[in-house]
Amino acid sequence: MTDDLIATAGEYVAGLMSPDEQEAFERLIASDADARRAVADWRTRLLALDETATQLTPSDALWPAIEAAVGTQRPVSEPAPGWFARLWQDVSALRLATLAGAAAALLLAVLLVVQPFGRSDKPTVVAVLNAPNTSEAGAIVEAFADGRIRVVPLRAIPVPEGRVLQVWTLWDRQVGPRSVGLMERAEARDYATSGMPRPVDQQLYEITLEPAGGSPTGRPTGPILYVGRGATPL
Amino acid sequence: MVAVSVDLKDALARCAGGDKAALRLIYDSECAAMIGVAARIVKRRELAEEVVQEAFVKIWRNAHRYDPGLGPAKAWIYAIVRNQAINTLRSGKREDLVDEVPEDAGSAVEAYAAAERLPEGQALRRCLEGLEARRRTSLLMAYVDGFSHGEIAGRLGLPLGTVKAWIRRSLLALRECMG
Repeated sequence: MTDDLIATAGEYVAGLMSPDEQEAFERLIASDADARRAVADWRTRLLALDETATQLTPSDALWPAIEAAVGTQRPVSEPAPGWFARLWQDVSALRLATLAGAAAALLLAVLLVVQPFGRSDKPTVVAVLNAPNTSEAGAIVEAFADGRIRVVPLRAIPVPEGRVLQVWTLWDRQVGPRSVGLMERAEARDYATSGMPRPVDQQLYEITLEPAGGSPTGRPTGPILYVGRGATPL
Repeated sequence: MVAVSVDLKDALARCAGGDKAALRLIYDSECAAMIGVAARIVKRRELAEEVVQEAFVKIWRNAHRYDPGLGPAKAWIYAIVRNQAINTLRSGKREDLVDEVPEDAGSAVEAYAAAERLPEGQALRRCLEGLEARRRTSLLMAYVDGFSHGEIAGRLGLPLGTVKAWIRRSLLALRECMG
């Protein structure tokens, strides 16, 4: 860890960065384990200063206000989201319109391709994942009621040395994205997942590029390659 | 006041799973101190409560992002409080111009009291004491009071570049001393 990183992480934790600097540094935190560690170390070192603050008894109105704010899916005063949160919000804001064309055309074709005739079980949700910028379709996800998730790439996805593709799903922003599994190279894969609720209409799926072994944080850290929302097949 | 001993790490894990009772546990254990931390930055009691309200919403939404491998839950929680307080104070705008020095510049600064209240013999206290007084104050004014480089320079009557360089060097010295 360099002195420059240590000092910069300290400035970040001390709240000394301009919004631009802060955003740039948060991008670094998202992709760099040393930066995450440097920030966490400063928070730990300086925590004793927070413990010197005078305790101030909250007014009676505070807890009800908090309860009301977290009780709704969309609190009125949405705090400025961090980098991760914004990514996921951008993703969730992806217009269905941009997906609709590709999705409609592909859904039928893909269902025929990936579901052999006579197969009795049918996916609960099917998603076409598109590139965030170009909207080109990159993969199909089929999620089954028993937790199985089948991911079928539709094109060669380059995976640089020391990296891996990671498949994620998000059904509830409060829970956050959960890893479905890793993909060393672009090929059809079946994943057995557990602890996830039955897939639902509009559930989000995405593939990101992560360090070998998968995201070190358990959350997506790398760039989103393909993303899309699930729909219930007829 | 009843002392509440709460496993904050466990409480965050439960929050991530949607358990509101766990958020209430964090509230009972930390809320008064959180308001105190926020009040040092925003300087107004009612604003500090607003900050803490927003902080709890963030804690609830982001609990799943807390990584126990990266330090104690308490440090994560207070980072959210201070971050929210600074955002509230500046409403997203950060000016690095040297401010006018207010008449009561000294009395508005909490940094001194914070340093004095650190427990004797604690590494942070010992290492802060190893810094030259104005350098120590510069760093504490940032962390404790949430002042910008420009505000610190204005209050201490120093050039902006000097304050920036001092704080970076002080951070490195602290890290060297504390490990």
